[in-house]
Amino acid sequence: MPSHDRTQWLARRILPHEGELRTWLSRRPLVGLDIDDVIQESYAILAGLGCVGHIRNPRTYLFEVAKSVVLMALRRSQVVSFSALTDMESLEVPCDAPGPDAIAAGRQELERIATFIATLPPKCREVFTLRKVHELSQREVAHRMGISESTVEKHMGKALRLLANAITYGGNSPIPASKACEDERARTETSGIRLRN
Amino acid sequence: MKTNAPEQKRPESASEIESSAASWAAKADRGDLSFDEQAALEKWLGADTRRLGAYARALAVNAHFDRAAALGPGFSPDDFEEARPSPPPALKRRHFLFAGGAALAASIAAAVGFGALSAGTAVVTAKGDTRRIALAEGSAITLNTDSRIEPRFEERLRQVDLVKGEALFDVSRDRDRPFVVHAGDVRIRVLGTSFSVRRFDDGAVEVAVLEGHVEVGAAGELHPHSLRRGQRVRVSPRGDFRIERVSHAALERSVGWRRGIIDLQGMTLAQAAAEYARYSDRRIIIADPAVGAMKVTGVYSTSDPLGFARAAALSLGIQAIPTADGVRLDRR
Repeated sequence: MPSHDRTQWLARRILPHEGELRTWLSRRPLVGLDIDDVIQESYAILAGLGCVGHIRNPRTYLFEVAKSVVLMALRRSQVVSFSALTDMESLEVPCDAPGPDAIAAGRQELERIATFIATLPPKCREVFTLRKVHELSQREVAHRMGISESTVEKHMGKALRLLANAITYGGNSPIPASKACEDERARTETSGIRLRN
Repeated sequence: MKTNAPEQKRPESASEIESSAASWAAKADRGDLSFDEQAALEKWLGADTRRLGAYARALAVNAHFDRAAALGPGFSPDDFEEARPSPPPALKRRHFLFAGGAALAASIAAAVGFGALSAGTAVVTAKGDTRRIALAEGSAITLNTDSRIEPRFEERLRQVDLVKGEALFDVSRDRDRPFVVHAGDVRIRVLGTSFSVRRFDDGAVEVAVLEGHVEVGAAGELHPHSLRRGQRVRVSPRGDFRIERVSHAALERSVGWRRGIIDLQGMTLAQAAAEYARYSDRRIIIADPAVGAMKVTGVYSTSDPLGFARAAALSLGIQAIPTADGVRLDRR
């Protein structure tokens, strides 16, 4: 189970790049592979790492992890032609763009967050605003709104689901990965990755 | 819920996992989990690596919004409304009200077109057939294999019972005369749109919207779910609704049966065999689970299960052995 620190690291260093990763993956010939599966497997690996302190470039690391997930799945699938495998293996992860990290703490990002919250359905939005903007506990939100705690929890679950999609699919389109680059550091960092089967 | 339906064997989809993971993250957001909850969560996480990933991601999404506190107590989401990516124009109650007066003449005129169908006649397709029924008022219904519909067109309401199988509805817009599809206990109500409805053997119903929007609810439900273009809902036999987003390309593929093609992308051989069993009595038999789990890809003809089996055998390095009523796939 991911620790508090790991969750914070995923939220700050990985989540902002997920949209770009999805775009990158969607251009690959991932025959019969579901991008959502690749994303979940990738998070599972990142959540399960012993430590992340040595990762200097989380974005590149994320892309390498996703690539390893894809390769593993391709090898297992038995259908994919050899050329699809070699195409993927030789694939370079895209260069660092002036990505979401750079603006993460900025006012722009805060506005994005506000916009995302505004897209939630009314009840869900009220619950989420009280919980995250006013920082009330779920129990306090239930009291304030005169609804049961389990209803608050359901609205929170729905909000998290919708917001996950909003962050990683919609809204600001991710910066396209235009050119590949070498990143030896990332390469050596990921060399130890082993997938659980 | 029966366990022998073919779709039950399909691994849990990423979208289903995501939904459960969000619920768990919401539970964890309440504070510390109880001992029992903790045990249940660990059990859930342990069954599939993707679950851990989805859960970690859901926690991260929650943490990402911690900084929303910086918006301050004066924050009102309404100020950001205009930035919303055009919310779906929700079907309004009044659209359901029957029109009177001037619209009536038009309704009566259209009703003439339904003459052939209004007598409660059923339209059926045999296994392997598809059939398109053009309706005088501009709508069309395309029936997939082994399906049955019973239209009940009335002056002010166009109703169709999907008794069995799958159908694609291209509904012409007529705000004064809603179009309602009943699929068992599930009711789909629309004005003008294109959507498909499929009933599964286990009682589940799937509705996919290709154009426009529809409302899906249990029969008699007051608050149906509004579904937009590109969304698909699966209603479980117990009545749980699960809405997911589907790319336009995937939706188009899912109704490829209109043109006699079937897209098997991402399916296992066992799933592909079950899919073919919908279209043909020529059986594809797979005894070995390892063979059944092999992944297939590509677009095939719905009318040629044996051709598919031969092609799959060739690409997977297994053998296709002809049997009395079909073909058996097995290792070499």
